[in-house]
Amino acid sequence: MNYLVTGCSRGVGLEIVKVLLETGHCVYGVARSHSEEFKTLEHQYAGHLFFKSVDLSDAENVREEVFKEFVTNRIVLDGYVNNAATAYDDIVTNLNAEKLKAMYNVNVFTPMMITKYAIRNMLLHKTRGCIVHISSISAHTGYKGLAMYASSKGALEAFSKNTAREWGELGIRSNVVVPGFMETAMSSTLTQEQKDRIYKRTSLKRATDIRSVAYTVAFLLSEKAASITGQNIHVDNGTI
Amino acid sequence: MEEQVLSIINDIRKSKRLNVLDALKETDNLRTDLNLTSFDLAELTVRIEDEFGVDIFEEGIVNTIGEIYGRLAK
Ligand SMILES: NC(=O)c1ccc[n+]([C@@H]2O[C@H](COP(=O)([O-])OP(=O)(O)OC[C@H]3O[C@@H](n4cnc5c(N)ncnc54)[C@H](OP(=O)(O)O)[C@@H]3O)[C@@H](O)[C@H]2O)c1
Repeated sequence: MNYLVTGCSRGVGLEIVKVLLETGHCVYGVARSHSEEFKTLEHQYAGHLFFKSVDLSDAENVREEVFKEFVTNRIVLDGYVNNAATAYDDIVTNLNAEKLKAMYNVNVFTPMMITKYAIRNMLLHKTRGCIVHISSISAHTGYKGLAMYASSKGALEAFSKNTAREWGELGIRSNVVVPGFMETAMSSTLTQEQKDRIYKRTSLKRATDIRSVAYTVAFLLSEKAASITGQNIHVDNGTI
Repeated sequence: MEEQVLSIINDIRKSKRLNVLDALKETDNLRTDLNLTSFDLAELTVRIEDEFGVDIFEEGIVNTIGEIYGRLAK
């Protein structure tokens, strides 16, 4: 199967790429930076892994940059994993419109445009394809400073549910994986104390395992999840 | 161009078990005369785009065969 994964250079995206390669799939990865870790995988899985440097903050350009120059109509796309995101972290009274728009471009508008073209590819090839969005537990529980970021994930969850409704008739599925707090670059600015407070709100009392998130994504993409669509699957150590 | 559009529309009609057409008229309405649903029109759009490189729906809704020819002739 051929999968498009955004935000493949590090963190969760890189882990998703690894799991998909380990199970014999072909991955088209997109991020701004061509990381050393990704390059190592390219050597290891030559012919199965491809990269294009794309800045996903420009929703207008994805058709050209991703679908004309990379995942063209000659590639039968089986799935799209929307993983790339940025976090704009501040309290609501400091909200800055430009920063908000910049985050929405990467987290919401571009993923919506990519979904459009991914479904178009699936229509052309009559593929019963699959879309997986990565959301965040913050959209469900709420944390100080994450209102703007969480709202972008809420938008994705609603978009996914409606995509599932609209395209289910053609066998196209759309689901969301909702991770809890993970140890990645995105969360690296938090202090140990802040992290401990977050862990306390989980049943398992620790950081969510990136590998568990990646395996869940791979499961949702697979035939094993053939009857699952329009769902939010929480992989969050049992956050309360 | 007209032959290719006819062939794509016939492919879609065949998959819906509708009869194959010999020719298209410019006045044919995609929904009411040719019985295409919004999903069929989505397929028509991607197949035309694949052959001609033009997204016929980009500048708004297209209703008739004549309008498709118009967008492709641009
Ligand atoms: N970390 C957490 O605690 C946590 C919790 C819940 C949900 N999540 C979600 O999990 C997903 C992965 O996050 P992560 O923790 O792995 O974050 P990360 O380490 O910061 O990785 C983000 C990825 O997105 C890419 N990216 C960001 N902006 C981009 C842009 N403008 N254009 C192209 N690519 C861009 C980055 O690549 P480049 O910088 O190379 O472009 C990178 O590969 C995100 O959707 C995030 O919201 C994270």
